[in-house]
Amino acid sequence: MRPEHWLFTIPLRLRSLFRWAQADQELDEELRDHLERKTQEYVAQGMTEEEAHRRARLDLDGIEQTKERCRDVRRVNWIQDLIQDLHYGVRTLRKSPGFTAVAILILALGIGANTAVFSVVNAVLLKPLAYRDPDRIVALSNFSPTETATALPEPVSIPDVQDWHDQSSSFEAMAYYSSRESAVVSGSTAEYARVTRVSPEFLRIFAVGPVLGRLFTAEEMKPGAPGVVLTSYAYWQSHFGGDASALGQTIRVSGPQPIVGVLPPGFGFPNKTDLWIPLISDSPPRGWHSFLAIARLKTDVSLERAQTEITLIAQHLERQYPQTNKGRTVAVRRLRDDMVGDVRPTLYLLLGAVSVVLLIACANTATLLLAKATARTREVAVRAALGASRHRVVRQLITESLLLAFVAGASGLLLAYGGSKVLVALAPADVPRLADSVVDRWVLAFAFVISMITSLLFGLAPAFYAARVDLIDALKLAGTRAVMGGGMIRMRGVLVVAEIALAVVLVSGAGLLIKSFVALHNVALGFRPENVLVMRATVPGPLEESILRARQFFGGMLSEIAKLPGVLATGATMAPPGNVESTGFYFLDHMAAQPDPNAPAVILNIVTPGTFAALGIPVKNGRGFDDSDTFNRPFVAVVNEALVRQSFPNQNPVGRTIFCPFDSDKGMTIIGVVGDVRQRGPAREPMPECYMTYGQHAFNGATLSVVVRTAGDPNTLADTVQRLARERSPDVPMKFTTMEALLSDNVAVPRFRTLLVGVFAGLALCLAMAGVYGVMAYTVGQRSNEFGLRIALGASTGSVVRLVLGHGLALACIGLALGLAASIAGTRLLKSMLFEVQPNDPATFVAVGILLTLVALLSCYIPARRATRVDPMVALRYE
Amino acid sequence: MSKPSDLVQGTLDMLLLKFLALEPMNGFAVSQRLKQVSGDVLQVSDGSLYPALHKLEQEGWITAEWKTSEYGRRAKYYSLTRLGRRQLEKEADNWGRLSSAISRVIKLKEA
Repeated sequence: MRPEHWLFTIPLRLRSLFRWAQADQELDEELRDHLERKTQEYVAQGMTEEEAHRRARLDLDGIEQTKERCRDVRRVNWIQDLIQDLHYGVRTLRKSPGFTAVAILILALGIGANTAVFSVVNAVLLKPLAYRDPDRIVALSNFSPTETATALPEPVSIPDVQDWHDQSSSFEAMAYYSSRESAVVSGSTAEYARVTRVSPEFLRIFAVGPVLGRLFTAEEMKPGAPGVVLTSYAYWQSHFGGDASALGQTIRVSGPQPIVGVLPPGFGFPNKTDLWIPLISDSPPRGWHSFLAIARLKTDVSLERAQTEITLIAQHLERQYPQTNKGRTVAVRRLRDDMVGDVRPTLYLLLGAVSVVLLIACANTATLLLAKATARTREVAVRAALGASRHRVVRQLITESLLLAFVAGASGLLLAYGGSKVLVALAPADVPRLADSVVDRWVLAFAFVISMITSLLFGLAPAFYAARVDLIDALKLAGTRAVMGGGMIRMRGVLVVAEIALAVVLVSGAGLLIKSFVALHNVALGFRPENVLVMRATVPGPLEESILRARQFFGGMLSEIAKLPGVLATGATMAPPGNVESTGFYFLDHMAAQPDPNAPAVILNIVTPGTFAALGIPVKNGRGFDDSDTFNRPFVAVVNEALVRQSFPNQNPVGRTIFCPFDSDKGMTIIGVVGDVRQRGPAREPMPECYMTYGQHAFNGATLSVVVRTAGDPNTLADTVQRLARERSPDVPMKFTTMEALLSDNVAVPRFRTLLVGVFAGLALCLAMAGVYGVMAYTVGQRSNEFGLRIALGASTGSVVRLVLGHGLALACIGLALGLAASIAGTRLLKSMLFEVQPNDPATFVAVGILLTLVALLSCYIPARRATRVDPMVALRYE
Repeated sequence: MSKPSDLVQGTLDMLLLKFLALEPMNGFAVSQRLKQVSGDVLQVSDGSLYPALHKLEQEGWITAEWKTSEYGRRAKYYSLTRLGRRQLEKEADNWGRLSSAISRVIKLKEA
């Protein structure tokens, strides 16, 4: 179009838009004028006034229709239509507040739940890490061939990382690190802080510089260098008030170390580290797999190329060092994927479950709208008769759906705001970046898009059905009652069947997860977790010094705690059940001359006498440790039944010698056998374990968990124990918990997903129930005459109830069958999340079938009762 | 609702533009004129006429003005704009070429 054309047309368009009423009035006048003249002309030709008027109207093809077509040629019509539709929509929705409230509530629940789950998925899985070029930061980890089914990334050794570093060309920087909660003394207070020891290139990978002071120098990373510390911004703020004088002040981690720099706010890799110190290790062994490795890819290098290169190097190392590296493969993965780890499938599961809930909500709203569309048949017919084109009617109805969806979306957003907080609170504590779940613009966009999609899902079908209304039939119907076409009844049936089927899928999934969670709870743990107080304490200082002090501290504490009232037994362990602190290999009778990669693996633990009693681990054979097992006596060990099964089938292990290279290579005489404990949490089978006594093994002795079995609630003892410890050594940081709480952390992920999928399934069930109820109530309303007649003709109450229930059950059964088929196909996806339950567990499916049938019966019952109360006289009179 | 299906697409626009080029007139007069000029050959119902007029106005080819008619009441008078005149020339041109082409084809001798 040429610009001068616009000069004419734009004012016209604007006029049509803003002076719509005037333009419309002019149109009206124009046509009325035409009609009059035409009538006069016909009269002049000899017709009667009435006949002339009729002919003139006929010539115009219907005044209203022609008017509407005139309006149609004004191009801005769609804006007017939209405004008009919105006005009209708001009016219609306000006229039926009950329907509107229910529909908005249902949809808001669906949209809100989806948005809340998405906000978590967004924070944990989707948002890029807050580092420079986050996609170029990768984690390198070992995958050993022993656990092929669910291979988990494993730590790496320093010489391996150094070889990858030196022999590869894909990486800009590569580093190894290790991170743990350590006892840190700053000023006069002692506390746990997260300390990460890092190799030279660590900070280059994240491209971070100090906000204060400097980074480590090359000299400070060499063996023999005096220790130095970098602090996180948060630590600097909380411990030094953000004062620059913090530089040069000393913090005691292993020894006194001066602060040389502060890192920028927001940087806390890994796990919200407080302090970073140089990782200096003089010729570490290649078999010591205790470190994690990260690297930064060069700009033009793809992940695949880096992986190929590292695989080649790993194969080379395997040939060179078969004893330590045999079968070790190396995986290069994006850091984000590495951090997310095993919560990814759980989050996808939740997203899937919650979108099923939304689908059901859509189906539910659609049935509501269909019912409403029926009631509006006459309205639609009248509008069509007055010249509204079919697509205009559809558009009106879709506008109403959009309006509903957006109001619901806005309310859903409010729900999501609260919901995501609830999710964060319920979720396992160690999910990375979970706390960042907020309603940001991505979440807003998600809510918007999902509302759009939702409105189409629930609004389209009713709109098209409404538009197919037969004009003549609808107008001829004089009564108050509109009749729903067979198509619509079928449509509602289909929707309800779909609702039930979807609900069945969710309920089956939830059933399997619940059964699995119950199994997890009922698993024989091998110890008694109730009424056990756990106090983790670390004696700070350089290793030699702290080990000696720890001996006094823990020894004194144990004897004092034992004297407290209400204490049944007490002990201390390096790793309470559910945690593994150290693993290694064992040899029987004599030590292997050189490292043997085929030696059987074992979990190593150090306990004090009394620990087995405190934890309730039964001694099955021989004896447990006692105070006579000291450093200058023969070394002794206690093994678990799993080790006996593996190495001493049908033999008595007591009296045999076992070698577990830990802090000494001395052989230990096996003095007893204890029952198996699920050391790695309830979901995993017990592994062979070798217990050594604190009296003979000093290594790692600065940190122990004191376990106290009490007669009553263990938490009440915590204050007393803390006071005792403070009196004894004020600089020893402590953490109190209970064995039950530790156990609960162990199953936090399965609990989280079971709870949420369970809630979603419950929601789905309620929605499906409402759907069945709605359809049945409607059908009964439609057929009340028929029921009246039946009753008048002598039908019993029972037979009428049976008729209605039969109809409802038929729908339910189709839905159930479809749903079960889908479940059997779909629950295979849950396999990795199930414990001692098969994905196609027949008992669960039967239970789901019974539950759904009961729910369907329940929701048909009220309509069925109503059917029996139809007054035959009213029905007959009506006919 | 009858559409002027027997009228070549766009021809109605051209005819209306032509009428209004002769003199400004209101919708009723246009409908009368259509009937007079074309006899019963071009059957354009009143119901099709008004949307067509409104479309031309919307395109900016004609403009409307409310005047008091000879019957003493207000009527909407349409007249051609400068753009409309150009459009008419273009369409008349097209029409000339089209009709002469068609008549040449029709006059071809059958073998």
